[in-house]
Amino acid sequence: MFQTHGIPTVKNEEWKYTSLEPLEKNIFELVKDNKLADRSALFEYCNPQEINIVFVNGIFSADLSNLKNIPSGIIHCPLQEAVAKDLPKIKEFLTKYDPSQKTPFAALNEALNSDGLYIRADQNTACKELIHIVHVTSASRRNSASMPRTLMVLEKSSEATVLESHLSFDDKAVYFANALTDIFLDENATLHYCKSQKESQNAFHIGQTRVWQERNSNFDGFSFMAGGALTRNDLDVVINGEGASANLNALYNMSTTQHVDNHTSVDHRVPNGTSNQLYKGILNQAARGVFNGKIFVRPVAQKTNSYQLNKNLLLGKDCRVDTKPQLEIFADDVKCTHGATIGQLDEDQMFYLQTRCIPSKIARRMLAQGFVDDLFSKIKNESIHHKLDKLVQPSFQALE
Amino acid sequence: MIEIKNLHAQVGGIEILKGINLKINAGEVHAIMGPNGSGKSTLAKVIAGHPDYEVTKGEIIYDVNFKKINILELAPEERAREGIFMAFQYPVEIPGVNTSVFLRAAFNEICKHQGAEEMDPIDFDLYIRKKMKLLNMDDKFITRPVNVDFSGGEKKRNEILQMAVLNPRFSVLDETDSGLDIDSMRIVADGVNKLKTKDNATLLITHYQRLLNYIVPDYVHILRHGKIIKSQGKELALEVEEKGYDWLS
Repeated sequence: MFQTHGIPTVKNEEWKYTSLEPLEKNIFELVKDNKLADRSALFEYCNPQEINIVFVNGIFSADLSNLKNIPSGIIHCPLQEAVAKDLPKIKEFLTKYDPSQKTPFAALNEALNSDGLYIRADQNTACKELIHIVHVTSASRRNSASMPRTLMVLEKSSEATVLESHLSFDDKAVYFANALTDIFLDENATLHYCKSQKESQNAFHIGQTRVWQERNSNFDGFSFMAGGALTRNDLDVVINGEGASANLNALYNMSTTQHVDNHTSVDHRVPNGTSNQLYKGILNQAARGVFNGKIFVRPVAQKTNSYQLNKNLLLGKDCRVDTKPQLEIFADDVKCTHGATIGQLDEDQMFYLQTRCIPSKIARRMLAQGFVDDLFSKIKNESIHHKLDKLVQPSFQALE
Repeated sequence: MIEIKNLHAQVGGIEILKGINLKINAGEVHAIMGPNGSGKSTLAKVIAGHPDYEVTKGEIIYDVNFKKINILELAPEERAREGIFMAFQYPVEIPGVNTSVFLRAAFNEICKHQGAEEMDPIDFDLYIRKKMKLLNMDDKFITRPVNVDFSGGEKKRNEILQMAVLNPRFSVLDETDSGLDIDSMRIVADGVNKLKTKDNATLLITHYQRLLNYIVPDYVHILRHGKIIKSQGKELALEVEEKGYDWLS
């Protein structure tokens, strides 16, 4: 499919604000080695005591992973093995999506990934420990490509907390990470899921997360994006069971000439579903952000509650945001609201802080931090909260 | 302590203050009353240094360490550090910024300015709890974001809490009483009275005589069309309450 369609251009509505020309100019090569030179940097970010499932250049590293605390009821294995053995929900899940709707990058991932992860929570399993899936690109090779691939299945009434991190410890490394994550939430399952992206400043990150929700399931999602020269982050949720709810929160924090394009899609296919989207962006210098949020409410999906808000804080003179809500509502008894704000720091708030002795430079930091903390307060897992806080701090310190 | 001399100020090209003269000594409480649009809030904002208000003439001379300085030359945070405080008529909500973090940051700016050691979070917690008792405030209050989802009364109490924490020499209370029920107003007034010393001074800006039953001023000034048209003792407030402002002009 990727071969037929190739890399999409800006003429494609889905890529209107994001040109992939810089990606196209490079030739990337899949890497076969999973060695990481700088272990200390990795363990500064990951807590070695926590459950860590580490992939280097898209290949699993048993050496860097910590699997010993994985509780019973959580099953994991290479995705290829799970497919070969036809483990529960695999076939059922992989055939749910309309192949004609597949994005070229998802097709590319499926064609090229050789070492995916299958992880499943069995029925009634409540896993309290954070499961940290780490995709790190080592700087040893130039122009490497990796295809991170994860399939998560939460069986009936199970609960888990997962952080999926995409990162590199060399900010100059040029590479292409094309990630695909599938999440299946069966009846009454709850997943707290965070995707954290802090790739190299020169990297290309294209990622898609697809979430399928059955009756009364909860998806509590958070996306954090701070790295990459060019980032595209898609989060597509299908509400396929009544009473299911999805929270899509995100922070993108970009500077220099970084470009981040967020696409969300929430497809309400049944009645009584709930979805909440809050995407916040802080852009500095000449960074550019895009938010495109789709909400579909199918004719049968009465009593849907759907809310979407995109808030942008522009701190730099040359930054820019394009925000585009896209609501397609075919049911008449629904509550759907959407909104977008783009602005600089609030002058009244600045003045208020200054009258309380706080100099303008610190006031700016406090307000930017407040903009973030307001959102971070929605992250229930302390370890995730702490990790993201550490990633975002340097950008506040740099504020003038 | 502070002397306002022939102060003219405009906002968006419209002149609001048209030559204010006012002298306030340490230990005094002054009240400014006046109808809507007379320039009361503008005066408060000019004293605090709001960037939207342009001073076209005059000066505000303030005593700092036996020296006289014109505060119009200082940034808002510099004025605040020298002990000038304004309680906002409409306190600003700051989502995501924790009240106690905010108060400690403010307090430590003053410590730094005075060459004193900054207070650590534990000591500050004890310090602030004492101040909160003064205003009958719930402990939970300081863990919430600044003014977010506060009731009108809570916002005004938070202003006076900030005043208690920063311990200013000169405070301007801009309609601190408006929108408060009688119980909240009593708590706020009690707080202000307890903070009063012979070394500090307060300027109350109000619409209503009611507040002045609780915080008794030494002088009452009537502001109209950007000028002080009458100054007298506290009895003037009662007269205004009874007769309105028209007889004055």
